[in-house]
Amino acid sequence: MSSIILEAREIRYRYPRGMEAVCGISFHIRKKEKIALVGPNGAGKSTLLMMFNGMIRPDSGFVLFDNEPIRYDTASLRMLRKRVGFVLQNPDRQIIAPTVYQDVAFGPTNLGYSEKEVKKVVTLALRHVGLEGFERRPPHQLSGGEKKRVAIAGVLAMDPDVLVLDEPTSGLDPSGSEDIMELLDELNHEGKTIIISTHNVELAYPWADRAILMLEGTILEEGIPEKAFGNPEYVRRAHLSLPTLLELHGELQKRGFCLQGKNPLTVLDMMQGIEIMFEKRYSCSRPGAITIYNVDRHGPESFSAWHSEQPVISIGAMGTRAKQRAENERIQLDFTYGVIDKCILKALLGEDSLIVTTENMVDRVYRRVDAYVKESGIPVIVKMMDGGSG
Amino acid sequence: MFEELLEDVAQKNGLREVNTNLKLAAGLGAILLCLLSTSYVPPLFIALVLTSAILLLARIDMKTYAGLFIVPLWFAVMSIAGIILISGGHDLFWRWDILPSFSLSITRESINQGVFVFCRVLGGMSALCFISLTTPMTDIFTVFRQCRIPEIIIELMMIIYRTIFILMDQVVQIYTAQVMRLGYSTIKESIQSCASLCGAAFIASWDAGEDLVKAMDARCYNGKFAVLGENRPVERKPLLALAAFLSLSAAMVVLSRNITII
Repeated sequence: MSSIILEAREIRYRYPRGMEAVCGISFHIRKKEKIALVGPNGAGKSTLLMMFNGMIRPDSGFVLFDNEPIRYDTASLRMLRKRVGFVLQNPDRQIIAPTVYQDVAFGPTNLGYSEKEVKKVVTLALRHVGLEGFERRPPHQLSGGEKKRVAIAGVLAMDPDVLVLDEPTSGLDPSGSEDIMELLDELNHEGKTIIISTHNVELAYPWADRAILMLEGTILEEGIPEKAFGNPEYVRRAHLSLPTLLELHGELQKRGFCLQGKNPLTVLDMMQGIEIMFEKRYSCSRPGAITIYNVDRHGPESFSAWHSEQPVISIGAMGTRAKQRAENERIQLDFTYGVIDKCILKALLGEDSLIVTTENMVDRVYRRVDAYVKESGIPVIVKMMDGGSG
Repeated sequence: MFEELLEDVAQKNGLREVNTNLKLAAGLGAILLCLLSTSYVPPLFIALVLTSAILLLARIDMKTYAGLFIVPLWFAVMSIAGIILISGGHDLFWRWDILPSFSLSITRESINQGVFVFCRVLGGMSALCFISLTTPMTDIFTVFRQCRIPEIIIELMMIIYRTIFILMDQVVQIYTAQVMRLGYSTIKESIQSCASLCGAAFIASWDAGEDLVKAMDARCYNGKFAVLGENRPVERKPLLALAAFLSLSAAMVVLSRNITII
């Protein structure tokens, strides 16, 4: 287990002339974890998040960053805010500058980077969130999802260790929300600790490593998502809804269908449980193959050559840059979220599929599929587009 | 009530990628030449060239441009009528003594003067339109910095620029909400709605200001506003076009010194 990066010890906070927003909370967050803070409006989620980068100072108790209590003098706060990036709920409130480039450059400039360095980190950050070519656009012309991405890029440009996002999916359409969640996944994969607050249980449930259920300034339940969302009583008290998969799982159990293994996190888990229970496999002679199209290695020509041989195939894209490439090359995408699982599901039906992705995500596909193969014993094949298999 | 903003038009115009300095030089140079000219010909020429540049090169649609031009043009027509009628002169065409000490007259000099002023207005207007339709504010900030305008002023301008749009957005939302609930149906209602709109906008701007400070703090604000994007490189073709335009106009100013319309 990795070391603890953020810790709260008995923190309390009361708004001036208001009610107590945070009433004696203690918990810790480890490096590279994905944490979802869930709870109804007014549960104190945002207040708690603001304490992580020192925007709000608790009345009592400590917040520790990297095992050191946060100090509230200007210099320490600056250091802290460089390392803990905060993305506000309303991107309009976060975006300060008149153009996208300037806004993303705001943090690095204030950290004293040279103009050349600033340019480098800004280009990288915009590339990360899939907004290349937006540099000179004014923010008021962007869509909600694009603004959110600019806000995230602005924080990414400072290269923080921890990313705190208040309601990252609020006000976005479902596919926009999924894109943002996947972007967060991607960033986590690169080693960033990510903390979000959200109402969206369905998105948080499969995404988070750990969930913290909050109500009226206290922690109701904390733990892996199955546990945190698993108690219908708590979920009801927190004004949330049970994730559909968990609900279904619970209902099946009540009727005596005992699904093997852990609680299902994804549809794939659920399918596996059901198939084991009925001791029945979908009868296909051999599972389909998953092909990886690595956009960093292969050009569009090799894709079109490959695609012309197998015209009917499901295609999914994973990662912001891969999606952008797919859009540029006019590839019709069937999946943009939870791609690996959906492709495994296709493979189980005996259908082939293709994953468009980038260099740094390739091993993730292999790992997920390997884990599945080990667990289920079904030999799903993953291969690169140029023929090498894994 | 809320048409497309000039700024939005400018962000998408066909000359966006041309170096900002060149565009500003064309606009400001044109205004200067209009002022220096003593004849109506050069301003008219400038108006024609810049208008066709706006319509053909920047590809601004006719309706937007006409809409922009019509209001000041109306003012110009009214004042020029005044100039022609009261400025007086020797070569009399028409005269009407309304009062013993006051008369209206049309003379050769007054017509010359009127036409000259009118053409100047046309030239100046088209130069201003040229700047505002081809150069978005965001590009002008870069030029300001090159001109050594103090940082603090540029930063304030940039924050104000950004805030205008946020505020504008909120005002539009409040206004729509009011209209939907029949806020402007009677005069009394209109006054009341307008007052509450102003109040709400004030509170919104106050809030936005506080949030701005927070947002800047959260991103390590240290007294520095972001560097600006770069200006576009100066290309040959636009540079030659600009030089040709300015020198031709300047030559005209010199040559047409004494030309009047009648």
